[in-house]
Amino acid sequence: MVAKAGCDIHERGALTMMTAFRDAGMEVLYTGRYQSEAAIARTAVAEDVDVIGVSDLTGSLPIICRKILEELRRMEADIPVFCGGLLTRADREALLEMGVKACFGTGSPVGACVEKVYELVGQRPS
Amino acid sequence: MSENVVKLDRDEGGLVREETQSGIYVEPVYTPEDVKSRYEEDISDPGSYPFTRGIYPKMYRDRLWLKAFLVSYDTPESTNAAFRSYIENGMNDLRLTCDLPTQNGLDPDHPLALSAMFCGGIASYAINTYETMLDGLPLENTVYEGGFMNVLDAIYFHGLLVAMIENRGGDISKLLGTDIADPVRSKLVYGDPSWPTEIERRVLMDHIEYCLEHTPKWRPVVPNGIDPCQAGMNAIHELGEVIAVCTAIIEDFCKRGHTIDEFGPMVVAMDAESDFFESIAKFRAARRMWAKVARERFGAQKKSTMMLKIGIRTSGLSLQAQKPLNNAARVTIQTLAGVLGGVNSIDACSIDEAVGLPSYEARMFTLDMQHILAHEANVPLTADPLGGSYYLEWLTDKLEEEANAYLREMEENGGIYACLESGWLRGVMEQDRLRVQREREEGKRLIVGLNAFQGEDGPVNQAIADCAYTVPPEQVRQERVAEVKAFRASRDQEAVARAIRRLYQDTKTGANISRAVIDGGKAGLTIGEVCGIVRLAYGLGYDPVDMIPTPDHVEQALRDLPA
Repeated sequence: MVAKAGCDIHERGALTMMTAFRDAGMEVLYTGRYQSEAAIARTAVAEDVDVIGVSDLTGSLPIICRKILEELRRMEADIPVFCGGLLTRADREALLEMGVKACFGTGSPVGACVEKVYELVGQRPS
Repeated sequence: MSENVVKLDRDEGGLVREETQSGIYVEPVYTPEDVKSRYEEDISDPGSYPFTRGIYPKMYRDRLWLKAFLVSYDTPESTNAAFRSYIENGMNDLRLTCDLPTQNGLDPDHPLALSAMFCGGIASYAINTYETMLDGLPLENTVYEGGFMNVLDAIYFHGLLVAMIENRGGDISKLLGTDIADPVRSKLVYGDPSWPTEIERRVLMDHIEYCLEHTPKWRPVVPNGIDPCQAGMNAIHELGEVIAVCTAIIEDFCKRGHTIDEFGPMVVAMDAESDFFESIAKFRAARRMWAKVARERFGAQKKSTMMLKIGIRTSGLSLQAQKPLNNAARVTIQTLAGVLGGVNSIDACSIDEAVGLPSYEARMFTLDMQHILAHEANVPLTADPLGGSYYLEWLTDKLEEEANAYLREMEENGGIYACLESGWLRGVMEQDRLRVQREREEGKRLIVGLNAFQGEDGPVNQAIADCAYTVPPEQVRQERVAEVKAFRASRDQEAVARAIRRLYQDTKTGANISRAVIDGGKAGLTIGEVCGIVRLAYGLGYDPVDMIPTPDHVEQALRDLPA
């Protein structure tokens, strides 16, 4: 599931990754913009997704991911979360520290991101 | 699937493309035979119809382009200090913006506001923030530019500027500048939830009529191709879109019984993309296309009405986080394209935008770079210096032809608003975006440092990345939440209730709401309240994202309305 939280309007990264995941043979859900973190976690649980990829270009990934992880924990859902977008070095450290599985800055190779998803869900298309 | 690194010999030709960025095939050589446009009719001198070569006879000899960029930091105080310093260093077009929640019409205490708070700038939710932010800065005869998302922002922040001039005892007819207020972009690019298109179109016309009468030097609408382009549209479609939005706005304006000459010159915002000649040709073609539409379709009589003023922003999307120093080259080349394209104002991106929010020093580079183009490189000495280049004239014609074909297609699909509603426009944008994505994967589009000539980041590049401005942490954001609550409690509640009722009734009865917004601003109405009250008058829910109920004080004020 590709997710966007809050008022971030930058959508190109999310759309690009959605297309890339789809082309790699995955089933992809997109939350759309203007979602709350709690709604993202609840949707992920309700739709039984394998992995959540959060996209944000406002510099707020640590805040957003912390809330999603808290909500997932509250629901006792063990869904891996990774993220991509605008990231400082300090953001990366904070994100990995809190349990986000991987961080991709702008311009990261699309293929590396796809590989990471295979690794996180423990399978790849046959 | 993965983005392969393309290996090229640095010394041999080895070009991977024969097309412009938007896919126009380019011949290795152009000759006089290729130029079909006639000088008198299609090109003409600078300052003469159809203004292909620029809108002024001497172009930059008479007035240099305005130098702008969005200025907005975490607090009104720091934004005020930044404005003063940038003005000192040559910025002469003060571009206002605010963070994304505010632009969406959400106050800082809205539950959806926290995560994007401060992205784009301050949370300028009400007049108190503007008073601090613009403290000591002149409001009259100074160019301000609103770089906002939607029509709500345009009318609200114009209202705050007018309110402040009136509060300072000044003359509002001396307010100078522009605002975007493009009702297509707000939905197409941002999916902006504030007001539906129907409300945006009506309020925009109210706002235009008010401005023409009371603040005639404020251009209330600037159709914007930058953001559709950044979201995926290629140059041809951006050009077509901009002309289509200009046309749709003048059509709505004329439906209110006006003529295009009452509207005056059109200002648009366009993208300076990586493709150098295509960008230059695009600006030249845009002026010619609009001049023709203004005269032939709308019967413009005045020369000034046929003029298209162009403000550009360089391409943030082209900037890379890998080896950010290279972004200085990208921004400079794109800025040069703007100057050679005869544009009127330039917002050059900051070289660290791909790694964080712009730092102070990176901002200074964008100003100095423009001073270098103007005063060291002597680029602006003569008007349209590339005019008459066989390639450029051919490419200008080609872009016009392709954009006109696209406009006809849009007309066949019901016009721009129908195409917006049906998703057709979004489909065009998405197809263009996918094409770029595929070309990059196939190695047909090289990005230095990314999929070609990767190299390694050294200490200078690392320093650029580490100096980027970072948005404030959650605790600082929570302070803003507390601040807006305290501000609301501090207002004259009777005056607020009157302002709420006035805005609601003016909206409901179809009156021009501009004055109600200005007076509401003086009484302390927040942007979230203005957004919500207009929605209520249209029978919609107060909150554009359906998360909070109508606040008690708004319900209370409206309960007292005479039936």
